[in-house]
Amino acid sequence: MIQVAHLTRRFAAHTAVDDLSFSLERGEVVGFLGPNGAGKTTTMRMLTGFLPPSSGSVTVGGFDVLKDSLEVRQRIGYLPESVPLYREHRVLEMLVFQGRLHGLARGEARRRAGSVLERVGLAERARSLVGKLSKGMRQRVGLAVALLPEPEVLILDEPTSGLDPLQRLEVRRLIQDLARERTVLFSSHILPEVEAVCPRVILLHKGRLAADGSKEELVRRLGGENRLRVELTGSEPAEAVRTALAALADVRAVVAGEPTDGFLVFELDSEHDVRAAVGELARARGWLLRELSWQRPTLERLFARLALELEPVRPEAVGT
Amino acid sequence: MKGCTVIWRRELAALFFSPLAWILFALALFFEANFFLLALVQGGGEVNGALVLFLGGGWPFWLLALFVPPLITMRMISEESRSGLLEFLLTAPVSDAAVVAGKALAATTFLALLWGCVFLHAAAVSLLGASPDWGVLATAWLGATLVGALFSAVGLVASALSGTPLLAAFLAILANLALFFLPLLRDALRGILGGRVAGLLERVDLHAHLSGSFLRGVLDTGHVAFFLAWTLAALFLAVRTVESRRWLG
Repeated sequence: MIQVAHLTRRFAAHTAVDDLSFSLERGEVVGFLGPNGAGKTTTMRMLTGFLPPSSGSVTVGGFDVLKDSLEVRQRIGYLPESVPLYREHRVLEMLVFQGRLHGLARGEARRRAGSVLERVGLAERARSLVGKLSKGMRQRVGLAVALLPEPEVLILDEPTSGLDPLQRLEVRRLIQDLARERTVLFSSHILPEVEAVCPRVILLHKGRLAADGSKEELVRRLGGENRLRVELTGSEPAEAVRTALAALADVRAVVAGEPTDGFLVFELDSEHDVRAAVGELARARGWLLRELSWQRPTLERLFARLALELEPVRPEAVGT
Repeated sequence: MKGCTVIWRRELAALFFSPLAWILFALALFFEANFFLLALVQGGGEVNGALVLFLGGGWPFWLLALFVPPLITMRMISEESRSGLLEFLLTAPVSDAAVVAGKALAATTFLALLWGCVFLHAAAVSLLGASPDWGVLATAWLGATLVGALFSAVGLVASALSGTPLLAAFLAILANLALFFLPLLRDALRGILGGRVAGLLERVDLHAHLSGSFLRGVLDTGHVAFFLAWTLAALFLAVRTVESRRWLG
């Protein structure tokens, strides 16, 4: 559905997007991740044809973004980060205007406006002035505007920013719902959100493609190890316990933490889930277990790792 | 020009939603009525001269024509660029030209309505027994509207160039003044650039084009084409400026 090849965008001396290539299939939901300034918005603007690339190409549904711009725009629903809406208009008028821009008849535009407002949960605010709505509501109106032409591709730039947790959940559900019929590319810097919605993640860092793949794949490839936190107490000295834990199969490293209230604290890095093995060992040695918690590798940690690896922290540069 | 009428309608609606449009309308009408009465008294009851005063027949018209269009167009692109609405319009399936043309048409429609208020005065005096020359009024109104279209297009170029509406209005007023007073440069430039350039400048005399035909009740295609050509040139410039905004990001 979307093909991006060697996409590059320079602003004066600064390269915002650098040789980016990826493709999206029909019906895919893809999370677009990256720290601020990674080039997410710039890339999305190029996908919608708002910003011409410095080099490289984008095709949407087989149409080139530069050459057949209008064809591409007809197929894309785009929600920019700033959620642009005419504040002096009523919600319904804004939606009908969007429908008319997409060449719909007035009656059809009104009909769709009704159903799309239903979908974002704003049916009772159709007569409200856009400027009088709260930020979260405007965000949902923006989403309704993007959905109205029933586009094949949805490009949503931070669609959940400014929403409260409940609304966020609703928007998430809506995106999952939409994914059944459409291709969705949505950016966010809230990682758990992307984890919850998108089976596939594209990670940008400094304008380059840092990673692209299914969530599990990425986590496995880049996220590193599982981590297990153990708190226990027993008759043996800490060092002996540490050695015993380290001797377990699959355990790669054991780090002893600060003991709390007479309990020894360890953190285990392992290839797989080793909770059962640790429990078994504790029973055999007669340790008293207080905590045994498994921290599954998350995108969050992957993200931090990636950002840190690519940009090493240099303590000597601080405080001079 | 798909989408042009959609944008025209929205812009026009937005103009009449804003208090600025109504304030301009009220001030212009107050100004017009006063000058109309004054001209009527001074002209000894000569109705037509007093009526076309605000359709290109005198300096009060030019005062409005030079300053009102920039105030109408100043926000149309600069503010939308700021609020991100331009991003919305330029990613909708309508061409940049349709967006600019729709906005220019809306501003021109507003001015056509403003100039059209003269017909109220005409109707009033005709009820009182005078007989205004409706043909002259119609052509004069068309001429005034063409001037409005030209200055609206110039205003859009300024709005596309500027980051804030205030700067856009200022730039547009300067450009309008420059365009209007261009013929005055002709004598100064004749010595430097020679007769040909001066002759060209002479042809860009807005007032002469208006009074030469429209104010006499004559529709001359040459003069209509003059205004349309300049308007299209300014619109072209505005479209290119909007396009360049894409490149700048």
